[in-house]
Amino acid sequence: MNRAAPGAPIDPRILDQASDWLVQWHGGGMTDEARAAFQRWRQSDPEHDRAWARAELLMNKLGGLPPPLAMPSLDRPARSGRRAAVARLAMLLATVPAGWAAWQVARHEGWTADHRTRAGERRDLRLADGTRLVLNTATAIDVRFDPRQRLIHLRAGEILVQTAPDTAPVRRPFLVGTGEGRMEALGTRFSVRQDDGSTAVAVLERAVRIEPRHGAPAVLEAGRRASFTAAGLAAATPADEAAVAWTRGMLLADRMRLADFVAELARYRVGIVRCDPAIADIPVSGAFPVADTDRTLGMLAATYPVRVAARAGGYWITVVPR
Amino acid sequence: MSTANSHSREIEALYSDHHGWLHAWLRRKLGNSFDAADLAQDTFARVLAGRMPVSLAEPRAYLTTVAKGILVNWYRRQALERAYLEALAALPEPQAPAPEQRCLILETLHEIDALLDRLPPQVKRTFLLSQIEGMKYEDIARATDVLLITVKRHMKQAFSHCLAAIE
Repeated sequence: MNRAAPGAPIDPRILDQASDWLVQWHGGGMTDEARAAFQRWRQSDPEHDRAWARAELLMNKLGGLPPPLAMPSLDRPARSGRRAAVARLAMLLATVPAGWAAWQVARHEGWTADHRTRAGERRDLRLADGTRLVLNTATAIDVRFDPRQRLIHLRAGEILVQTAPDTAPVRRPFLVGTGEGRMEALGTRFSVRQDDGSTAVAVLERAVRIEPRHGAPAVLEAGRRASFTAAGLAAATPADEAAVAWTRGMLLADRMRLADFVAELARYRVGIVRCDPAIADIPVSGAFPVADTDRTLGMLAATYPVRVAARAGGYWITVVPR
Repeated sequence: MSTANSHSREIEALYSDHHGWLHAWLRRKLGNSFDAADLAQDTFARVLAGRMPVSLAEPRAYLTTVAKGILVNWYRRQALERAYLEALAALPEPQAPAPEQRCLILETLHEIDALLDRLPPQVKRTFLLSQIEGMKYEDIARATDVLLITVKRHMKQAFSHCLAAIE
């Protein structure tokens, strides 16, 4: 094989063909025949493949840009600007508030979400079919209803779903998708939470069918909760209304480890909440107004041998031994 | 070997004879000494990397030509950075990229901006609507009031241009 070096020039005629394919791919008119023709073109000559590698590089660069930043930057009006930009760069980088999510996360979870809540916010939604949704703190969802299905895509956070009987002439399944798989409501009330790399489900009425992306499907009955990864489902444990106390702004703890309690609380607050490892295992019990994190922290300090240390205007909270 | 040596000697001579003059020239253009010093440095770096014949009859004309290219580039970067920062400041907090991501995004934006710089405005806009906003060709045609075939022609032009220039 006499392959040219990666950076070597490519025949303009071949780049021209690659451009034609790019136009066609983006035009959305790629039939099965066109796809086959494209594959043949790409495989028929190493130079074609090399030209297409450039096309992919270009697509990767463009695809990695967040539209709300890229569009105003690249499509800016032509002005003869000078100076001061460097000083402003330094100033703005210092004053723009840091996003709570890394950008990659924000990209998948935030840019185009249909509904979202901020940290500490809770919202009730009524969907077109009568389904009731409650969005917990820091949650983002997309709603995609079409003639075949009712789909909620949970990008981040936690929701409670109370489905309504579908009025469409043809029965449409009600589905919730997460990063790890999807759930089909079998006439029901249930909660779904997107954690880091796993999904947690608690069923309160009827049942939910769970399909992990690569694992065996399973049905979870009322009164059970389970979490799953893309590979499969973990063992189910009992669940009751305490699992959805958040819909009333409460966190019900029953001998919960303090470290877990604090991690839970952190979801409801902008900023960082940490627990000193020395007191991580203190068991916490009680009903806490989780939406009011300051009050909850005050209750913790009043009940347990702990103290709340706040820095940076309350952005940085550490629960430490008293 | 001796060519390399004589080349670097020529650069040295060029530098010592004309650096002060180039810095002053850039300072007049830019209105400040710091940026002028940076760009003068960039100009000589470009000359050095370019392995251009430096024993020129008109070294200052040559240096000005290189410096002008660098200056144009610099203005474009400044304008992009300003637009980027404005967009960043306007973004709701949860959508703002983390600080370590901001520089990566800005670098990619610079690259794309440079790629698209030579394209006619209408072609560039069509390309951005398709590739950044994710609009369909039909919708772009409607939004910009041109024929679908024109959108495709513009996309083809922009893709060809980018594929030839991208590294």
